[in-house]
Amino acid sequence: MLERAGVPTVSICTDSFTVTAQAMAGVYGFPGFEFVTTPHPVASLNEEQIRSRVKDFMPEVLRILGVES
Amino acid sequence: MTAHADVAAGLAGAGEAPQVDPAEVRRVMEYYAERGWTDGLPVVPVTESYLAEFLAQTDRDPAEVVLSMPHLNRHCTIRLAAINAALAGCRPEYFPVVLAAWESLRKEGMAERGIWQSTTGTAPLLIVNGPIREAIGLNSKGNVFGSGFRANATIGRAIRLTAINAFGLRPHQLDQATQGTPGKYTSCIAENEEDSPWPPLHTNAGLAATDSAVTAMVYRSCIHLEARHTTEPEQLAGDFANTISRTGSLVHQTISALLVLAPEHAHLFARAGWDKADLQRFIYDHAAVGRGTLAAVGKDAVSRRTKWRLPAAHPDAIPDDSEVAAGTGTVRVLNSPAAVQVVVAGANNAGVSAVIETMGQRGRPLYITRIDPAPAPAAPGPAPPAEPG
Repeated sequence: MLERAGVPTVSICTDSFTVTAQAMAGVYGFPGFEFVTTPHPVASLNEEQIRSRVKDFMPEVLRILGVES
Repeated sequence: MTAHADVAAGLAGAGEAPQVDPAEVRRVMEYYAERGWTDGLPVVPVTESYLAEFLAQTDRDPAEVVLSMPHLNRHCTIRLAAINAALAGCRPEYFPVVLAAWESLRKEGMAERGIWQSTTGTAPLLIVNGPIREAIGLNSKGNVFGSGFRANATIGRAIRLTAINAFGLRPHQLDQATQGTPGKYTSCIAENEEDSPWPPLHTNAGLAATDSAVTAMVYRSCIHLEARHTTEPEQLAGDFANTISRTGSLVHQTISALLVLAPEHAHLFARAGWDKADLQRFIYDHAAVGRGTLAAVGKDAVSRRTKWRLPAAHPDAIPDDSEVAAGTGTVRVLNSPAAVQVVVAGANNAGVSAVIETMGQRGRPLYITRIDPAPAPAAPGPAPPAEPG
């Protein structure tokens, strides 16, 4: 939705939801939409573990956004 | 001995078996299965002429939408609802019940907001009241949650097949249920009004007892409660309150529940002079859990944003506000007497009841729809539509 409104967007989900995320992207007319995935689970992580996850996937977020280093 | 004869061996009066080509029957079954148009069980083939028998049960336009999922841009029309009712094995005369079920599900609102896709893995629950039960053979007595009754089995299944075929909610794809529940195949019961001491459920909505109606809820678990020993209403109600108060289902600050009372239990309360409101009030006051018990499972506070339960030490945690009285350390699991509803079903043969853990009700009104009677049969007119192909 944000992407359609012209806002560059990256969606992040856990790897458990990859198939569902792709199916939803298809429903919205974005087949092949790229998602960043992180290992399941997330809900039970503490703050430090969340920070570590973000560090891990940030390069992927920047790649999808097309940010050049 | 033929296969027909094997099947019929134990059945008195099984009658003459239809003479059909079984290979053709299997070919049709496989055709539907290969397309993913089933819940895993065989479905009934649907032709335009058979569909017309379902559509003749209502005056409504086949293109009218009965339920939408805007986030999927998918909509179920009367026609799609009828196709899936036929696939499910409904007889055409069940279709007015299916349509009333869709209206109650629409009013209830959680399906349209996507609950059927949730990891929680819920199922819709339909409760039918009124004379339609007798007219179409809906079971309200023994084995009410079990198998053996075509109307119960297929009306509930019609909702599931529509979820799969009209909304595309297939497991592993748009249906993300972690485990789901057996109730996803079918969940349709009727109230045992004849063996109940109280007014039937649909009269809560101002309907007459002589009306027929469908109430819809969303649930995950159906917990059995067995109490054959007591004649004290407080003991029995306390047993229900204790069952409702388990921490596993306490995802939010409070929960909601439906008591499906066996007639024996309902009459125990009625003999003591309790009506449904008395029972609801008692359960509301006694369905509670100690703060220490909540702390032990990490559910002693709620999220600032979602009100889901969390450990008090979580950075998003704020205290809940559901103590029976501030500072007592006893936390209610219901937000009002209306968060627990009561219906009577099952055989009048034992003190065996059920607690249905409903989602989202939490004191909101029941969602009940009167079943519109089928229109009078039309005078003989043009030939029915040709079958496709």
